[in-house]
Amino acid sequence: MYFGAGGFGTAIALTHIQGLPLLVSVLIGFVSAVVLAIILSPIVVRVSGTAFAMLHLAFSQLMFVLVLKLRGITGGEDGVGGFPIPPFSIPGIISIDIMDPLKFYYFAIIVLGISILILWFFTKTPFGQIMVSIRDNPNRVNYMGFRVTLSKAVIYVVAGGFAGIAGSIYALFQNLISAEELSIMACFAPIMITMVGGVGSFFGPILGSGVFAFLEELTSRYTEHVELVQGLILILVILFMPMGLIGIFHIIKEKLFSKPSLQGTMESAS
Amino acid sequence: MTILETKGLYHDFSGLEVLFDVNLEVVEGERHAIIGPNGAGKTTLFNVITGTYKPSRGQVFFKGIDITGEKPFKLARIGMGRSFQITSTFHRLTTFQNLRMAVMSRLGIRFNFHRKVDKLQHVTDETDEVCGRINLDGERDIPAELLSYGKHRSLEASLAMAGDKELVMLDEPTAGMSRDETHFAVELIRRLTEDKTMVIIEHDMDVIFSLADRITVLHYGSILATGSPEEIKNNQDVKDAYLGDLEV
Repeated sequence: MYFGAGGFGTAIALTHIQGLPLLVSVLIGFVSAVVLAIILSPIVVRVSGTAFAMLHLAFSQLMFVLVLKLRGITGGEDGVGGFPIPPFSIPGIISIDIMDPLKFYYFAIIVLGISILILWFFTKTPFGQIMVSIRDNPNRVNYMGFRVTLSKAVIYVVAGGFAGIAGSIYALFQNLISAEELSIMACFAPIMITMVGGVGSFFGPILGSGVFAFLEELTSRYTEHVELVQGLILILVILFMPMGLIGIFHIIKEKLFSKPSLQGTMESAS
Repeated sequence: MTILETKGLYHDFSGLEVLFDVNLEVVEGERHAIIGPNGAGKTTLFNVITGTYKPSRGQVFFKGIDITGEKPFKLARIGMGRSFQITSTFHRLTTFQNLRMAVMSRLGIRFNFHRKVDKLQHVTDETDEVCGRINLDGERDIPAELLSYGKHRSLEASLAMAGDKELVMLDEPTAGMSRDETHFAVELIRRLTEDKTMVIIEHDMDVIFSLADRITVLHYGSILATGSPEEIKNNQDVKDAYLGDLEV
């Protein structure tokens, strides 16, 4: 939903405003997602777990239908496309035309890198510490004098904003954003990626999205039913790797670098 | 001076009366134990005082302020800390990170996004100091879930005590501990709650009589007796209802 908000924000801005700089258009995508998240957060963050997922999904579907119906603004099923893609420019320093896929690739990599850095830093701040504590035990956080609901709202808005940046970059790359990016499959993809990569870890979802992108490329050469393979992998991961793919790295790390564990001393004693 | 007071507190769970006209008075600086048989409503009383539940009737005063039904985070900010009967730490975070939350709570560091928490030297120093005081510096970087049972319980109680709260409410801090662990925990509680007010729920009579200045006996949701350990020991009602023939 915030992916879509970011995408439409950028696309609509570029369609209507002549000569809008690239970075400003991405910023507009970010802000559109943040505004939407601020509006919805008071309702959504009050619940957690499955209820949160369902409520979120319900709002996503509402947005999906809205985008389809508000033809005048969003172009309905056709979406917003064919808008001019401005060059990447810092006035007086450089100006690079990113219509070239390779240059766009570098542009996307830089935006991704900066986003990862900001979010990584975010988890390391005192607020980030409160964030992981809420993950472990929201109740205790409350009894220690921190506002759980408000903190969750902040996290929700930040997450929405960065999803908006992703949507914005996507819209720029495709030169098109349509309702399809808000469909139930599109909403479910990030959840699936997170579950396969590893819930509750920073690099898990990054790994997951890499694996999924690779899989999609690979399987689409042999079959049309890419979702079938993805679903199968999701089931396998849930059954056999509850910590996700990133869990493998943790296990390897523990095996290689851990100090002699209790198990180790028991083995040497016998 | 009274720091905590409940006036005519009632609470029921859909008709089942758990608290019945509870008038508790805790004096500033004392160590006050709440004892009573299982199901007497001790934890419910804690929950009503610390904001988990709103009482169905009655009022709670903390430092003279009416705090009836206030949210837990607000109570924590005005100086009330509590621990839990069922261990409730941040299980994936290390001992240090757990205690750092208590330190951050005390210093009021909340919505801070612009600095790395590791770079806040005073927070790190203070947390390390707390780690040392509770003898967990050997376990500083171990996730809470991997601590031994006794140490995990110590951490649980310390999360409430390390925040430098004026009133610390401990719910069975020594439950399930071995004799040695219990002895250590009692010393820990004694040290960390110095100059503070503490309310403690306990079953272990040794712990109660070695720690408490005053004792309140809760029985079927109402207060049976309040008094010094000596008075409680010799109270006939208490003997009949709870202590029985216990050698105390």
